[in-house]
Amino acid sequence: MDKQTEEFRSGLRQGELLIQRCEQCSRLNMYPKFACPFCQSEELGWAQAAGTGSLYAFTVCRLASPAGFEEELPYALAIVKLDEGVQLLGRLTPDEDGEWNGYALDTPVEFVTAGSTGEGARPIAWFSRAGSSAA
Amino acid sequence: MSLPVAPLNITAGDANDPVFVGVGEIVSGRFPDRSFIQSLTQVAIRALKDASMVPADIDTVVLIPALHSFDQQADLVFSRMVEELGLNRRAKANFMVHSGGSTSDNVVRVVSGLISSGHAKTVLVLQAEGWGSADLREMVTMLSWNGIPAQWERESGLNFNSIGGLITQRYMLESGSSAEDLAGVCVSLRKWANLNPNAMYANKTLSVEQVLASKMVSDPLHAMECPMMADGGVGFVMTSAANAKAKDLPAVRVAGSGGVVSHYSIGQETDLATLGWKIAAERTFEQSGWGPEDIDMAQVYDSYAAVMSIAVEGLGLAKSGEGARLIASGATSPGGSGIPMNTNGGLLSAGHTGVGGGTALLAEGVRQVLGRADAPRQVADVNRVLIAGTGGSYMDSQVLLLERAGRN
Repeated sequence: MDKQTEEFRSGLRQGELLIQRCEQCSRLNMYPKFACPFCQSEELGWAQAAGTGSLYAFTVCRLASPAGFEEELPYALAIVKLDEGVQLLGRLTPDEDGEWNGYALDTPVEFVTAGSTGEGARPIAWFSRAGSSAA
Repeated sequence: MSLPVAPLNITAGDANDPVFVGVGEIVSGRFPDRSFIQSLTQVAIRALKDASMVPADIDTVVLIPALHSFDQQADLVFSRMVEELGLNRRAKANFMVHSGGSTSDNVVRVVSGLISSGHAKTVLVLQAEGWGSADLREMVTMLSWNGIPAQWERESGLNFNSIGGLITQRYMLESGSSAEDLAGVCVSLRKWANLNPNAMYANKTLSVEQVLASKMVSDPLHAMECPMMADGGVGFVMTSAANAKAKDLPAVRVAGSGGVVSHYSIGQETDLATLGWKIAAERTFEQSGWGPEDIDMAQVYDSYAAVMSIAVEGLGLAKSGEGARLIASGATSPGGSGIPMNTNGGLLSAGHTGVGGGTALLAEGVRQVLGRADAPRQVADVNRVLIAGTGGSYMDSQVLLLERAGRN
């Protein structure tokens, strides 16, 4: 695995959402790159995301998952626009009834550290409604 | 935003103007007994016959990829079709062009360049796909890996229907389109498919109620709003205007094109309800001097109702936010009051033949301008057709403008 993937995933395992930051021009890149798309520097480091953002779109996958995800169905995939001005795809924690009806687009969500830190957790960022107990 | 647009170096009437002179197609659906190479051979012969040509007229063979098998795809790259068509020691070149669903547009750009520059005289473009007969689970997984970054998104369980779900949800919010509006798009496409003997669903009607009663696959997409993977194939022949004239062949020229690559991964698309279509349209119309009002017919990539609706709006063929409602209203259906769209039934009703879904729309556009669609699907007085391609994670939006070539 390449270095930035390993470091990004290592962050998730430790309950941190990392955003790549260029050491030269200080701009943020998501997803992480091998060279800064703004200044082409290969000196790239990390900034810790505040973990807060806005729910841009989500969908609940119920049927025909990729192989290996069958037991996780249904699951919600979301694009979150982080307050830092970058965005990423992640998962949404379900409401108590196992569904996602409580979520609404363009409302605040926050990174859930528990989503990626558990035993065998997938290296993907999880989000919940801002202020909900799951966060 | 500055536009990387220049006029074409070629104008109507130039001897080296690249033109379409024939198309061939086989029926879409599930045909497990149909051989891949047989399908390619059939579309080749049909396209050549349509162009009043024989294999010996071809100097370059260009292949569009098949996604059902990398093994079989390798046959294409290694020139199997040259040998199948008896062109050993005759064909100058054989190669593949691939940009996923928008290959339909990019292959025409590539072939046009070959012909207008003189690197090729007459080019046969071939596509066949075996998705409908392939192992569904294997295909779903393959499609969940292709175009989805392994490092950042694959571990989420994202698949192609979920990409469609994300786009559809955002589009519904921004346009105020209802579930009925989007289901209505599928129904409108089916009306064209019912007139197309090559469509997967030529003989099945569809209602909004049926769509909304089908299982939820990836909210808000129901099963009947997801494209059905199909076997199918398309071929076409392009040559120079001078060659078409010498043979007295009716022809269709390329009046311009435009496009944009807006992202790679869906998680990095900043405007899901617009994608790249406005930029692509601006560039296309800038190059051609046409406007949306000059279009007689549109063939627009429709893997999902929202994908087509967003494109139709960005292209200026519907008012902002009104794409789904326009198509659902029947205006673009047979006998409708607006410009006809996706007259083969589109991917959603003719069948999603992989990279060929867009190619089938392209072939239908050429066929309509040539006046060779089956009655009553043939639309009267079609001179100018817009072809719009995208696919994968909807990373690009590509547009071609085709027009009937003069025969003076």
